[in-house]
Amino acid sequence: MSSDIDFDEILGKYRMDPYAYVDICAPHTGVVNFKLDKGTAVDGVGGEWNHIPGTPLFQITRERNRRVVNAPITGIVSKIEVERDGQFVEAGEKLITIRYPLKKKEIIENILKEVLYLFVAPEKAKYFFSLDIQSRIEKKGSRAVTIRQGDEIFTMSLMKRDTPVYYTGQEGVIHSIYFKPGVSIAQGEPLVGICDEDTLPMIQKVITRVKAEWDSLYSGM
Amino acid sequence: MNSRLSASRLRSYIKDVELPVRTNVWPEPEASLILRFGAGIGSVLEHHAELHRTMLQARSHISAIERADKSVVSGTTILADRLTGSKGRFTRHWHAPQGGLWGSTIYVNTLLPRSRLLLPVAAGIAGCEAVRESGAQDAVIRWINDVLIGGSKVGGFLAESLTGARSREEYCLIGFGINVNNEQFPEEIQATATSLGRHLGRPVDLETFTYCFLAKLSWNIGLLHYYEEALLPDLTPNGSGHPLIRRWRELSDSPGKRVLFGFDVMASPQYRATVSSITEDGGLQLVLEDGSEITEYSGEIRYL
Repeated sequence: MSSDIDFDEILGKYRMDPYAYVDICAPHTGVVNFKLDKGTAVDGVGGEWNHIPGTPLFQITRERNRRVVNAPITGIVSKIEVERDGQFVEAGEKLITIRYPLKKKEIIENILKEVLYLFVAPEKAKYFFSLDIQSRIEKKGSRAVTIRQGDEIFTMSLMKRDTPVYYTGQEGVIHSIYFKPGVSIAQGEPLVGICDEDTLPMIQKVITRVKAEWDSLYSGM
Repeated sequence: MNSRLSASRLRSYIKDVELPVRTNVWPEPEASLILRFGAGIGSVLEHHAELHRTMLQARSHISAIERADKSVVSGTTILADRLTGSKGRFTRHWHAPQGGLWGSTIYVNTLLPRSRLLLPVAAGIAGCEAVRESGAQDAVIRWINDVLIGGSKVGGFLAESLTGARSREEYCLIGFGINVNNEQFPEEIQATATSLGRHLGRPVDLETFTYCFLAKLSWNIGLLHYYEEALLPDLTPNGSGHPLIRRWRELSDSPGKRVLFGFDVMASPQYRATVSSITEDGGLQLVLEDGSEITEYSGEIRYL
């Protein structure tokens, strides 16, 4: 991790464009039919258990199978590939972009994600810390728990099949935890952010600086 | 358990008992093919009078074989008459005295992820079918794979995956515990556990039951391979769906039940809902109290 972080550059980036953009792609090949227009406000998944689907964005039909793709997040449709409406599209083709304003916590997390080592979910599943790591976290707090290459860090649980997950990456302490036990995590989403002990003060500096800049950052919006 | 238990006797049981049972429903060529797909299960049988945990023994077995630069036989099954340190999921204790069927099967994974997902489902179906065939016709499956008789648990299954340290093979350990003739249970589970023998009012031949269960496991894991092979040429599901899921729906009483759901439902129940069905990939479809629907792939339920 670099110790030379240009805070002005990072914060300047968020001042200029305090939004996040989520691209929605075709999940598989098929004929696409959009269900809304550019500028439409959409709702993401909701409900206490994230069980209420978001606003329908488009329908994609392959063979006789129709699939509706819903908005994963609340925001505004900032871009839509209208010329592809009614056309055959390839899997992975970008069809819609949703824009949403970032909150302070998200900005801090985004910056930290640039400076922490992120250990990501190998599969869509539910995760919980291994018993050893969990007991160490309960005793000392996560930022006092050091993780090394090869440590059994998580148990991944899917359909009552438990798989130990071993840590691969730089040695360090668990700075950020991005999952909740019992909540499904998509493949590739970060589970924990790790940093070495020496850089913990610098991480704290990032957080303090963003918090201090917060008012001025958003006074320009 | 009788020490005559052997892989060759299991093969004979499958040929003489299991195959005729299956040909009542399936054409003989398909039934034979499915059993050939699952033929590895129990092809090596290791039997102990006592073990701490069969899952640990399975891990030791894998380590020892890999250290010797050999390959683990897929389907190797480790059985013990009693366990001294058996456990269920999380930190739950599992009571495993003499009289029950306790064991683990080492499956060296060659299934695609979508099929592998259903291994715990296959184990539960095998357990329920074996219990029914032994006389308890009212045995049912509670999602994902608990086997119940009259609302009390008679069998439970665990699956764990690991990667071989040397071979990098992916191993799936399928742990099974079925209360066959053991009738005494610790006080804390007396109200929720039962055994096949207690239910039938007579002891069950444990050796025959062991063969019966392993034959069912062989069939149901064979079904995963069979369906995968049938599916791959055109990569689109056929209209009748996965035969394993069809079978689960026949054996389960979960659909329609009001349930409490949780990842660890005993320690941290999350919400109440009504089960509507399971999806083609084994997910539990629930209707919440506000009418919205949710599909869960991990966790457990208790009936309300």
